[in-house]
Order: sequence, then structure tokens, then C-alpha cells
Amino acid sequence: MIEVDGTEDLEFKWGKKRGIGGKKRDVQFYESFTFDGVDYALYDNVYLYKEDEPLPYLGKLIKIWENADKSKKVKVLWFFRPEEISNYLVDGLAHPNEIFLASGDGVGLSNVNPLEAIIGKCNVVCISKDSRNPQPSERDIQMADFVFYRTFDVGLCIIFDKIDEKIAGTEAKFIFNLPNFSVDDKNARENAIETNGRVSLTKPNSSEDQIPEDDRQEQKPVVAENLAPNDRQENGFNYKSTSDVKVSSVKPNISQREKLISGVLTDSVGQAKRDDRQESTYGNKTGFSGNIKENANSSVEKIGHANQVKIDEKLKSIKDTSELDERPYKKAKLDGSVKVSNDKESSRHPTDPCRTAKNCSNKLKIDDKLTKLTNCKTPAMPPNNGKRTGEKAVEVTRMPVSDRSNWFGEIPWEERMQDAHEQGKLVLFQNLDPAYTSADVEDIVWTAFKKTCRAKVLQRTAYSSSHSVQAFAIFDTREVAKDVITKLDKGCLLLPNQRPLVVCIPNPCFSRKQSTFAGHLIVDKLKSLREMKEAVSTSHCSQPNTLEYDMAMEWCLLAETSNQSWKKLYEQQWKEIKRVKANFKSK
Amino acid sequence: MGSAEQDEYAAFKEKVRRTVFMDNLSPIVTESVMRTALDQYGTVKSVEFLPNYLEPQNMPRCALVEMEKEKQAEVVISTLSELPFMMSGMPRPVRARAAVPEMFGDRPRKPGRHLHVHWLDPSDPNFEVANKLKQLVKKHSTENAVMLKHQLEKEEKLAKQQGETLKANYKKYEMLDTLMADGTVRRLARRYNFRISDDSGPSTFH
Repeated sequence: MIEVDGTEDLEFKWGKKRGIGGKKRDVQFYESFTFDGVDYALYDNVYLYKEDEPLPYLGKLIKIWENADKSKKVKVLWFFRPEEISNYLVDGLAHPNEIFLASGDGVGLSNVNPLEAIIGKCNVVCISKDSRNPQPSERDIQMADFVFYRTFDVGLCIIFDKIDEKIAGTEAKFIFNLPNFSVDDKNARENAIETNGRVSLTKPNSSEDQIPEDDRQEQKPVVAENLAPNDRQENGFNYKSTSDVKVSSVKPNISQREKLISGVLTDSVGQAKRDDRQESTYGNKTGFSGNIKENANSSVEKIGHANQVKIDEKLKSIKDTSELDERPYKKAKLDGSVKVSNDKESSRHPTDPCRTAKNCSNKLKIDDKLTKLTNCKTPAMPPNNGKRTGEKAVEVTRMPVSDRSNWFGEIPWEERMQDAHEQGKLVLFQNLDPAYTSADVEDIVWTAFKKTCRAKVLQRTAYSSSHSVQAFAIFDTREVAKDVITKLDKGCLLLPNQRPLVVCIPNPCFSRKQSTFAGHLIVDKLKSLREMKEAVSTSHCSQPNTLEYDMAMEWCLLAETSNQSWKKLYEQQWKEIKRVKANFKSK
Repeated sequence: MGSAEQDEYAAFKEKVRRTVFMDNLSPIVTESVMRTALDQYGTVKSVEFLPNYLEPQNMPRCALVEMEKEKQAEVVISTLSELPFMMSGMPRPVRARAAVPEMFGDRPRKPGRHLHVHWLDPSDPNFEVANKLKQLVKKHSTENAVMLKHQLEKEEKLAKQQGETLKANYKKYEMLDTLMADGTVRRLARRYNFRISDDSGPSTFH
């Protein structure tokens, strides 16, 4: 299924057939297809390109077919971005990435489009609390491109919370999350193993397996009651095993690299060429699982090797992203950054630079991301719980409290840290679960080493990783610290969720002098003015008609772009971690 | 122990909801400045600056501001995301976000959680995997450091750029001012038969 050539033509291949329809019985309906290296299936959420529109449209594929004249069409049920229905959005957004599914009757519900308008898959998670909807985890929501739980009735122009039995002729179960969509869903992993063959439609769809209608007109939606839980078609796979929930955009020359790492199946290869903007969603459902098993062993070794290659390159590529200049863009004419900086009228809102910046940095990542690695599929592993089942698993016990109370009664942490650092007693633990507190760390050390320490978890700041946290720990003596470090480096202490504890000697900086701050400007001549002196101690909101406002906007834009870059970096790292983690075998 | 822990945790969660995480703060911003600044949105209960031990020193500071009510926190966040808010200097605005538990230094343990650890035997096949993970973690932290450095560089670049634009603009305005003041403009206007109104000229950088 992987097209490894590097041609400019967008490869296309039909997937599973569904049935015949049309007035002359000459229309073939399909359940899935591969386009430009990406697998799509019925009910997937996709991006569609529209000429001259800066942002792609978001939609759900509700019908796929090929006409007698070989033209390929899809019927798309639309999602609305908040800006598109801002007039009707009274209550505000539940979530920064919230979108709205079209419902009801009328113009704007759905359209038939040529299949070639599709430019990528989109990860949309349904956060509706409806009982029919498989509930997403926090991680799923974080990793999603968009979330939705409300619909916008295009006829009545009203936003509804409830999802009816059918929308645009599609049953509600295909509107909600499909049962295996969740990243964290351990059960889903097992399900994934079962899916084989190229078909994406596995269990969820048996009921839908009817011969599609003869007419291709838009159907009248059926207003109704609640339905059984929905399945979203996107994932026959589970994510822990495949570990790249989002196939982010990829370097164009990935396909060559793929030849190096043969046998590793990725959908990114094809995507390398065209995935301009988005991190498309849940990786391939179909054919992979079967193929994966065959190639499993060979791929695992090769992954390891490829890792080395990527490490250096990724760092380099990340540096490349600092160039915000335009990159060649396949289809869409998005020029996010340029547009925003020149466009003073349209938005004073920081949120708009945010949006375009998001697309902009998405665009950049095409060439930079070494997602080849992250897209490697590894064999599905049986679920691992937080508790290790190995015989050596030890439950973490609390550190003896008496020890704790003896410690450095009143000296503030910073002083303690400084002293400890000078005496070599300070270590830095990494790769801790974000939920751990300082006390947890101390307990873990006690359980594992039978040594007491004082720990402090580093607070998360604007840019720190959300996958894991670090913690400082001060030990009794330098020898103890050294001992702990050696033990952890040579051996492996596994925390729940397969996190090995990593340790290093930190180099903390304690000086508080910080005289420069990028971004605050003073006009020299005005420095002496009394107003300026006062201005330093005051604060205010900037009004849109000043120069200061424009400059502030530039800062906002910069901030948003860097947010996006960080987000991508962390996602990529997360994927890498998951991939390696997938190699864990349970006993 | 159970319910006391749970209460503590619940109280903590509530506090988190009431707290705003602000960053892009200049180093000269002090607690009192923050309090005065945010007082207009509600009562500020406490301000805590986040210490920065491992990141480069010219990173902008961050702080956690605890408001009295959750609604007040929301108002702060929404206002600051609509209009750029300047503190102790311009034009770099400060940012406000909802706080998450991980941002707090001393947080109570989440009740009901159990931890297990175990040492992996080197002969265990998972040992290799775990080692790989360790390497990955280290690699990631270097990546993060590089990324951070880049970001700072970008920020400085922007600041420099803006500084120059500002200077240029200021010069322009100054020039216009002087022209207005010394009558050149009026003379030129008469020459070209223009009509000018008699206000005092464009405002300076505000």
C-alpha cells in the first residue's frame, strides 16, 4: 500500500467497495480509498481545499463514490468554525479548538465535492457527554486538532447541544467517536489486533452494511431520538501500538528514507508529498495491521537504527523551523504569516494570528519533521497496566516521616538547593509523570534505594513539556547521590506507565540578575520624561489605534507561532516515546 | 487519612481554577505591580513568581496569580487574550492562561493513587527498551533546550526590529513636530494654497 515513488502525481487507489447505485446502476460506492498516500474511510474527518480561501474547510465524509465517467466524488457533511457562525454563538466556546457539526436542513449542511479537493485528514474528537459517545481522555482532547459536541442547524440557524438520531442521513453513531479512537484506550489495542486486511470497516459497521441508495441526492435528515453509541470509522487500530495517532506533516524526501527502512509501514510516506498543513488524524486503519505482523520483527530493528539517524537530523530540522519564510506549498495558497502581518484591518484579535500562525507553522513542519520515525507502525502489544506484573514490582511506600521532619527545618528550598549543588548532593530526576508531587518523588526514592531525600518537582511553565516533569532531589551526602546516579544509569528503574527514571546532574542557575528583557522598548529621548518613569510601574491595556498595539500584535503572533512549534515538538516527542514504549513486552 | 486527603485535594483543585498563569513578564515586574494591575479585575489573593533554575536567564518571567473567585480569573484570561495588556513597559504584552495543577510547586498528593516501581533485570528484554527510552528522554531535553534558545533568539530579533521601527517612526514624528512648530508647514501651505487646521500636530509615540 505504500507508494514509494516520488512523483508529483497524487496517487489514488480505491479501497473497499460498498455497493452499486445510481439510476443506471453505474455508480460504485466505496468505504475507503487511498489518496496521495493517506488512507481515508467513510466518516473520516477531512480538510478540503477551496480556491482562494485561507483556511481549509472541515468536513466529514459521508459518502464516497465513483461515477460512470470515472469521476470520483465525496459527499461531505460540514463542520463550522466558530468564526463562521459567530453571530449565533451566544455562549462562547467550550474549548479553544471547538467546531460545530452542521445539522438540520438547508444550504450549508453538506455538499458533493470532487474527491481531489481533499487535502488531508483531520483529528476531530467528539467531547459530547452523550451516553452514545465513547468518552475521550484528556490526552485525546489535547492531541485533537479540533473538538466538537454541538451542532449548528443550518435551517434554523441555532446551535444545539444534542445530537439527533441522524444528521444528513448519517446515523448518530458515526457522528460520535468510534469505539477505538482513543489514544489511551487499552481495550482498543486488543481490537486492533483483530483487524486485518485492508478494510477499515471492522465491527462498527456491520449494521450499516447496506447497499447504498440509488439516488445521490442529499437526503433529508431524520429528526429523532438518541441512538446507540457511535463508532467513528477512523480507527480500526489502536493507538498505543501504532503510536502515531497523528501523522504530522513530513519531509518530502521521506520516501527515500523509507527505502532505507524498508518494511516499516507508514502512511507518512505518501503524505510526505502532500500533507501540507495538517496533522492528519488517526493513522491508517486498514491494511497495516496485517502487514505489520509480517514485518514486525524486521521493522523493530530497523526502527532502532533509524532512530540514530533521526536524532541528529531532528535537532537540525528543529533549528530550521526558526525560519518563518514562505515555503513552497503544494496545493493551498496559504500564506499565513504574510497575510497577518500585512493585514491590519481584519483582525486585531490575537486569536487570528493564532489561527493563521497555526497553519503557517503547520506548513513549515512539512519539511522539518522527521515523522518517518514517528509513523512507524509497530506490532500491537497487549495492554500494559500501570502496575507492572513482574515479580520485582514493588509498591511505593511512604518515606518514614520522622526522617522527613529532621530535614532542614526552616531553610528555604533555594538555599538548600544551592548548598546541595555545591556539595554535589543535588540530582535532577527526569521523565516523571506529571501527576507526581514532590512527596511522591521522595517516596519513590525511598522505596527504590532505601535512601531519604528531599525533592521538589519543577513547576510547569509556559514551555515545559506536558508529557513529563522533572524534579530536583537533595540527598544526604554526595556519595549517596553518586550512588543513585550510577544505579539509575546502569540499571533501569521502571515507574508506572513504563517510564524509566532518568537522572542527571543539573546545572541550575541561581543568579537573579536579569537586566535585559526582549520586547520592552523605550524611546531614548523620552526616557527622561516623567510620564515614562511612571509608565514603568503601571500597566494598561493597549488600544487598537496606537503603534504600540501593532507592535503588541506582532508579539502575539510570535507567541502563537512559538506555541505551535512547541506543541508540535512535544507531539513529536510523544510519538517517539510511544513508539519505543510499544516495544515493551509484558511478562 | 482518606477523606482529609481528598478534601485537601479538592481544595487544591478549586484553587487551581481560581488561578491565572501569566507569562512574558518583564523581570522588573514586582508583586505589587501585578496586584495593582490585576486589581481592576477582582481581588488578588496571592502572587507567586515561578522560579527559573534550569532555563536560560533572560527568559521572561512567569507568575501564578490567585484570584478570589473563579469568575474573576476567567475575566482576566479573556480580557488579556482580547486586548494586549502591558505591564511595566511596552509593547510586549503579557499573557494569561488558566492554571493547571502542574504549575504549582507544592501540591497535595492526588488521593487514591498507587505507585509501583521495579528494577529491571538486565537480562530482561525490556531492559533494552527501557534504556532506549532513557536515551530518548535525554535527547528530548536537549531538543527542548535548543528550541528554547531559538525562541529567545527570535524574540530578541523581533524586539530589535521593533526598536528600529520605533526609532524611525519617532524620528518621523519628531520631524513633523518641528516642522509644525517652526512654521515651515504653514509657509509651505501658503505656497501651495493648502489649508491646514491649527491643531498641534501628530501625537508622539504613545
